[in-house]
Amino acid sequence: MKTSLKILNLCLLAVSFYAFSSCDDDKNDGDVTKPIINLEEPAEGDTLKIGAGIHFEMELSDDEMLKSYKVDIHSNFDGHVHSESLKVASGTVDFTYNHSWDVSGKKNTHIHHHEIVIPVDATPGKYHLMVYCTDEAGNESYIARNVVLSTEVEDDHDE
Amino acid sequence: MRNGFLTGMLMFASISSIFAQKEDSVMTGTLDEVVVRSSYKRTCSLNTVQHVDVLEKTFFREHFTGNLTQTLGHIPGVHSMDIGAGFSKPMIRGMGFSRISVIENGIKQEGQQWGADHGLEMDAFGVGRVTVRKGPSSLLYGSDAMGGAIEITQIPPPSENQWLGEVDLLGKSVNGTLGASLMVGCKKGGWFSKFRFSEQHFGDYHVPTDTVVYLTQRLPIEGEKLKNTAGLERDASWYVDYRKGRYQANVAVSDAYQKVGFFSGAHGIPDAAQLKDDGNSRDIDLPYSTVNHLKLTAHQQYGWGRTFGYLDLGFQNNHREEWSLFHTHYGTQTPPETNPNKELEFSLNTFSLSLKIRNFSHDNWEHTSGCDFQYQENEIGGYSFLLPEYDRLMCGLLWLSTWKPTSKLSFSGGIRYDHGRLNIAAYQDIYLAAYLSGQGYGGDVLESYRWRSYAVERDFGDFSGSLGCVWNPVASTLFKMNVGRSFRLPGANELASNGMHHGTFRHEQGNASLATEQGWQLDISYTYECNGLYFMLTPFGSWFSNYIYLKPTGEWSILPHTGQIYRYTEAQVTFVGLEMEFSVNFLRHFTYKVDGEYVRSRNLDEHIPLPFSPPASMCNSVAWQKKYFRIYAEWQGVMAQHEESRNEESTPGYNLWNMGATFNIPISKTELELTLSAQNILDNRYYNHLSFYRKMEIPEPGRNFQLLIKVPFKIKKK
Repeated sequence: MKTSLKILNLCLLAVSFYAFSSCDDDKNDGDVTKPIINLEEPAEGDTLKIGAGIHFEMELSDDEMLKSYKVDIHSNFDGHVHSESLKVASGTVDFTYNHSWDVSGKKNTHIHHHEIVIPVDATPGKYHLMVYCTDEAGNESYIARNVVLSTEVEDDHDE
Repeated sequence: MRNGFLTGMLMFASISSIFAQKEDSVMTGTLDEVVVRSSYKRTCSLNTVQHVDVLEKTFFREHFTGNLTQTLGHIPGVHSMDIGAGFSKPMIRGMGFSRISVIENGIKQEGQQWGADHGLEMDAFGVGRVTVRKGPSSLLYGSDAMGGAIEITQIPPPSENQWLGEVDLLGKSVNGTLGASLMVGCKKGGWFSKFRFSEQHFGDYHVPTDTVVYLTQRLPIEGEKLKNTAGLERDASWYVDYRKGRYQANVAVSDAYQKVGFFSGAHGIPDAAQLKDDGNSRDIDLPYSTVNHLKLTAHQQYGWGRTFGYLDLGFQNNHREEWSLFHTHYGTQTPPETNPNKELEFSLNTFSLSLKIRNFSHDNWEHTSGCDFQYQENEIGGYSFLLPEYDRLMCGLLWLSTWKPTSKLSFSGGIRYDHGRLNIAAYQDIYLAAYLSGQGYGGDVLESYRWRSYAVERDFGDFSGSLGCVWNPVASTLFKMNVGRSFRLPGANELASNGMHHGTFRHEQGNASLATEQGWQLDISYTYECNGLYFMLTPFGSWFSNYIYLKPTGEWSILPHTGQIYRYTEAQVTFVGLEMEFSVNFLRHFTYKVDGEYVRSRNLDEHIPLPFSPPASMCNSVAWQKKYFRIYAEWQGVMAQHEESRNEESTPGYNLWNMGATFNIPISKTELELTLSAQNILDNRYYNHLSFYRKMEIPEPGRNFQLLIKVPFKIKKK
């Protein structure tokens, strides 16, 4: 009998532990929801024209507040193994791009620009295009696209 | 008087379990008659103010996986953080990495435990007895044991002169594991010596899926096998023990070697082309990792009257390499002439010394005092960079006392001061600097990125302490309560790193001004054991004033392939949770057992959970046993983890069904011990919230059949 009393006591104790933890619950509203990136252009596998601006179009949204987005482009000449020996003939350089834009103070935004210009001396080939987006709290989402840089491409952009 | 002395010794036998070998010796040397009545497990539990799980042969036989950490994951409150089927590191009550200490033969194992893709290097076949201590243990083991400690100790030598040995054979279907271990030992007079050699080979492991989603790309998994997750493990150890009168000594030498392939997706952005089946599921291709852990320990003890002295010395070398086809984002970097594909290399040397004095002069009191020293040196190599070179010196002084006013009640407490000096070398990445200046960066920006590690020289000092009681009002009931304060020194990565972590694709940045991590914990344990009924409940709660974690800063990194910068930051954190276990014997041969666990962490500064929070889980099993035949069925239910931290995915819950049987077959003078088991019988696809591969949406291994055969032998000498 004494023992069952003790078990009861213990259970009460456990309950109080939970109560303690659930008190905390009321304040548990830190934002952990990531922003959503809907990248329309460029699409997966697109060929992008060297010497021209990339037609860049996407929707960004967040449940709280967006902060910033970043575009990162780098070569992927051999399944992401970039080594000196594999470099294509001289005269061209690997295109790398890293730039961010401020979109703070908005919950949704539509992005459309041609600001990312591929220089004429860029080495043609396979590249990765990555878009990162953060919200005010530091939640981050990203999207990766395989693209090809080429000098020969029909201009199918609808402005 | 003599009786008082005996009870005193037994009482303290393991208030701390500082060196379990000497507990054994205390008991087997002087207290044979007590040992008969009281198992090691019970003695250990009675004398420790925290809840301890003592695992012995039966547990290891039923839960053997060839990987010690995964085996320990079967204890409520303990988890295994896996990197595929090869490497696993332990986590206790939601704390892992450098917050858990593993102690073998009295010496703390030092590897690369800070790292996400590190595993514990230990021969699972050679483990005799494990004591798991949940909760703050830095009083006993210094910095790093703040979340708990896992102590691995030797089974005491046999009392009669003999040759003994065993052969173990292991086979697993999920990844084609073939493993074997041979042990030969000899006891003669005061001498006991044993040698063990173990080897395991495994192939790519089966996952019940044909695609994984990574970086928004769908990648094929050909033949439902995760490419390049094959590996091998080779371990050897030699142990010598000498006992004469009140003098005891032992020396242990061990070497554990592992070579395990990384799923190609774990390095760089995987292309579908890289994941094509190469027709061989057992080859280890690039990228892969090798680890070699060499360890030497020496223990000595001597008793004068009612005082015992203990001296432990240790040397360890942990050598880890990661190999991956040379790649760089920075055009000016060329492959090194020698070992062009060696990406990372760490060589960590650790020297340890520990001296303890125990005194049993007063009937109701026992005192222990001691000091610990540890010196570490980390060297690096490879064409990439992850962790800087550093050296670290730690010294600690401790005092523990136990008072036993009645035979049913005891109080234990202690205090410890540790001082640490950490000296981290700077590391400059000239290729990155050239790349960034080529991109048009200069000035402060360039300066802040070119240093992958800053020179940091810091001194830390802090106290640990604990006070607790054990109350054993009747034989069946045990009640414990303990309040402890523990601390941890920040690691070299937390203080000085700066740059992309190749495994997590994050720009991680250290903070040289971090203070020691400090926390308070309260834990309570209640156990009831009587007539085949067992019940255990262990609630706990802890509060950390400055828990160190990687915080997303919202600042973009200019490094290619990274998003925002993650910086090591201090936050106020609480943990609350409990473990529960209940078992009952019924209908003579049946046993029903249920255990469960729950832990909840909260970052009070951000009002969000901490990353890698284990989900609540429960395990039900029914077993039928008659003599040496036992069969069991198990249902493991794991709840969904929606308590995810920032930039971590929530993980759905799952159910697993396991079965197994153990039986012994007598052959001539010995008994063949067979264990047959099946895990994940329904071949469910599920994700482990704590797995390194979780973020790549790689499910856990599928259905597995396993056979373990053990053949012990013994030849008595005249």
